Amino acid sequence: MNSRKLIIALAGNPNSGKTTIFNNLTGAHQKVGNWSGVTVEKKEGVITRHGYELTIIDLPGTYSLTPFSIEEIVARNFVLDAHPDVVIDIIDASNLERSLYLATQLREIDCKVLFALNMADMAKSRGVKIHADKLSELLDVPVVFTVGNKNEGMDALLKKAIELAENTRQTPEGRKVHYSPDIETAVADLQNFIHQVLPEKLPYSERWTAVKLIEDDKIVHERILSLSGDHQQALEAQIRLARQYITDRFDDDPEIIMTDERYGFIAGIVKEAVTASARQRVDISRNIDLVLTNRFIGFPIFILFIWGMFQLTFSVGKYPQEWITACVHALSAALEMHLPDSLFKDLLLNGVIAGVGSVIVFLPNILILFFCISLFEDTGYMARTAFLMDKIMHAIGLHGKSFIPMLMGFGCNVPAIMATRTLESEKDRILTILITPFMSCSAKLPIYIVLAGTFFATRAGTVIFIIYLTGVVLSIITGRLLRTTLLKGLDAPFVMELPPYRIPMAKSVMIHMWERSKMFLKKMGNIILIGSIVIWTLSAFPRHIEYSRNYEAEIQNLQSRGALQMPGDAAARRTLEKETAAAMDDIKGQMQAEHVEKSYMGQLGKLLAPVFAPIGIDWRGSVALLSGFVAKEIVVSTLGILYVARGDNKTEALRTALASSDMTPLSAVSMLVFVLLYLPCLATIATIRRELRSWKWTAFSIGYSTSLAWVMAFLVYHGGRFLGF
Amino acid sequence: MKQLHRQEKEQFTKLFKQEAIDRFEDRLKVVEVFLNFEHHVTVGELTSMIGDSGVSLSPDFVQDTLKLLCCFGFAQKNRFEDGHIRYEHHHLGHHHDHMICMRCNKIVEFENEELENLQLTIAESHGFHLLQHKMELYGICAACMKDHVQIMPLTMTRQGERVVIKDFTCGSEARMRLLSMGLRVGDEVQIITNIGKGQMAIAAGFKRYVIGRGLAQKIRVIPVHKKNVSVGKMDEIHAAE
Ligand SMILES: Nc1nc2c(ncn2[C@@H]2O[C@H](COP(=O)(O)OP(=O)(O)OP(=O)(O)O)[C@@H](O)[C@H]2O)c(=O)[nH]1
Ligand SMILES: [Mg+2]
Ligand SMILES: [Zn+2]
Ligand SMILES: [Zn+2]
Repeated sequence: MNSRKLIIALAGNPNSGKTTIFNNLTGAHQKVGNWSGVTVEKKEGVITRHGYELTIIDLPGTYSLTPFSIEEIVARNFVLDAHPDVVIDIIDASNLERSLYLATQLREIDCKVLFALNMADMAKSRGVKIHADKLSELLDVPVVFTVGNKNEGMDALLKKAIELAENTRQTPEGRKVHYSPDIETAVADLQNFIHQVLPEKLPYSERWTAVKLIEDDKIVHERILSLSGDHQQALEAQIRLARQYITDRFDDDPEIIMTDERYGFIAGIVKEAVTASARQRVDISRNIDLVLTNRFIGFPIFILFIWGMFQLTFSVGKYPQEWITACVHALSAALEMHLPDSLFKDLLLNGVIAGVGSVIVFLPNILILFFCISLFEDTGYMARTAFLMDKIMHAIGLHGKSFIPMLMGFGCNVPAIMATRTLESEKDRILTILITPFMSCSAKLPIYIVLAGTFFATRAGTVIFIIYLTGVVLSIITGRLLRTTLLKGLDAPFVMELPPYRIPMAKSVMIHMWERSKMFLKKMGNIILIGSIVIWTLSAFPRHIEYSRNYEAEIQNLQSRGALQMPGDAAARRTLEKETAAAMDDIKGQMQAEHVEKSYMGQLGKLLAPVFAPIGIDWRGSVALLSGFVAKEIVVSTLGILYVARGDNKTEALRTALASSDMTPLSAVSMLVFVLLYLPCLATIATIRRELRSWKWTAFSIGYSTSLAWVMAFLVYHGGRFLGF
Repeated sequence: MKQLHRQEKEQFTKLFKQEAIDRFEDRLKVVEVFLNFEHHVTVGELTSMIGDSGVSLSPDFVQDTLKLLCCFGFAQKNRFEDGHIRYEHHHLGHHHDHMICMRCNKIVEFENEELENLQLTIAESHGFHLLQHKMELYGICAACMKDHVQIMPLTMTRQGERVVIKDFTCGSEARMRLLSMGLRVGDEVQIITNIGKGQMAIAAGFKRYVIGRGLAQKIRVIPVHKKNVSVGKMDEIHAAE
């Protein structure tokens, strides 16, 4: 059987549950979150159902077909120009009146629409009863009830969609919104004119085109004008005439009048199709907001939450981290025992296990961090943080909304930078993209934990919190700097919706964690593994080097001396044996160290040393930082390989190795600061480049962050030294 | 009534004296009674009325006085369809000054003696013989003013306050944005947070919004309870009309 292909687009207001339904339908795990603007690009999923091959498209949310930001343009263009077979408008039933605004606009275009009344549960709990049959009859559009997060109504939805696609009935005339006579006159006149001047060539229906032109829709305007050839001027004059006609009669802009009339039409429908219980219900979210966004306690609570997040990440994460560390130890001890000495064993122990093993132990911490962020996202607190941070963001001329991408940046910079698409002003967007990398992502977390955990054992959580805070502060200073120099801009009118508070669903949080773990492990399996092997190879070769001392002879010497001087007394013998062993370890360690130092890696490190010496970082740290360009986790791998290799005890944990190295707490802080600020990882750079569509800004971002990192680390290091640390 | 016309009487006194008119007291009596009439009156009716008040004057004298009044412009002679000639005095003293509200068209009457006197003095100083004046002050009445003051930008509201959106003064693009997000004129909103600077959070129905200060400045609102009062008043006035 030849299955027929259908394209079904999910459109609707932001935060109405489109992605939830998309995931239900396709089994995908696209990001769902309780705020407006989670989805910023269209996503596809293909399924076969009822003998059809269905391509489901999840679109970003939009309030109307007149877009204000990039992601809304995506949604609009898809609906208007890609000609999907069916458009399902996901309607937030608990917010029917507002949602119907987009719905009536969708009805007006010539495409097959189907309304999914999602969040039917919320509507019910608010005492709103929607008579679907009546609504369907009044709007002349099929209507299906769904509850996205409980996976209810999905089959009915698909069936209706397929039915609709197969229905050959033309879009009925009765569907149009009827405006008042004066507007209808203006529309008809313009429609006539278009019909005469531009026959055949129109991408949209004549009436709709006329309506949009009168509403001064920039995109339609441009498109139609470009099609109109010789008639361009006449058409423009005609449009101006029509607009003037309406303005004269209603004393307001045509788009406003027509919007008002659409709402009038909606009010009529709502009146007939909805019965609301008379009981006045309190909006719980409003009451929670009276506390959480309170002018006095709102901000302290927010700081407390963030601080709690880092404390949790560090302190609770410590336990599973120890278990994994123990496993890694056991594994490497077993390998040590059972494998014969060979280059392969060296690679496995000193390369792969030291490299990958030292990062993989941080999986729990990273998961906890993501867990906390996903709590912010799913409860709806995310949008509130944007509001709470507004005062501070305003210092750099950005709206608080820019803080949403920044907060997401704590998790991972890549989706965070993409989330800037919801910002309406292009300059705001560039600025936000440039400062987001200062929000250190979860990949940097292992570095912080290793360094802070080693040098500030009990206060590590606080130190890490301060590091993150430093990132925020510097991003704000940077923003301020850029705003007053390169990216001057005006305050655009700003309005953002605050979602209702919701209780996060355990299932979706679990799925989120699981996806994160998979991603993390995958990264360990390729980038980090390869990186570790490369680092190890560079540090293990060349195999034969010229040692400055004859270690072999010294070891021999030590052994024979031990045998010679062996006293008869058992206790004395034991002491001596210990001493000899310690001396041996020491010599072997020194030999190993010299080997690494003279390896390719060491040579590279020495090259870098002049750059990093002023900020108190030795050549090992330098190489580690350099390797972090690929992915930040590799910094820890490299440290693992380079530092652990020094000691004879191969299974020695990185932390102990670091503690006994010549790294001081001050140089650790310097390194922390450097890591916090310096160039973002490869994936982030690629994203910055893609989102900004400019190599210039990308290069700027790289150059600026790295020089800032160096300068800050320099200040910290020398400042600290000056103060006597 | 007598009181009301006192000023006119004073005027006559002055005029008559200036013109050195005879039988001053009697003429004044005629004027006094005449001014008491608010309707058209014939000489006969007036004469008998004067007789009623205890002064007996000849109809000729009364007519002569009325002619004099017409001459000065205080009265007017009309020939009616029934053939009678009737006199009416101009409502000279019987007036109020008016304040007219330009918003609700309400008319407030007032009188101020000082003002009246001042007008006379001014006219006199110009050698102007003042017969009549009309004073209308245009403006906003107290009730409308109260509402007017209460229309304020959203930014002036306090936390927890409930207000109704009256108007958007922002550009049409921003207005469209607000409309498409479901915030419209007539919506009742509650202020969740207003710090006095930066963005503010508001709730309308089951929707909550964060609005930038600049935009909030351009959303004009009035407090909820006051709105009902003003609507009530408007109705009263319309009913009165
Ligand atoms: N109570 C209730 N919540 C729902 C329902 N459907 C979705 N949600 C929740 O609504 C929130 C938004 O869901 P999303 O699927 O991300 O919404 P979206 O329309 O894709 O949002 P954008 O991508 O931002 O436009 C999530 O927190 C969901 O858990 C529903 O039927 N009932
Ligand atoms: Mg989505
Ligand atoms: Zn007066
Ligand atoms: Zn008035």
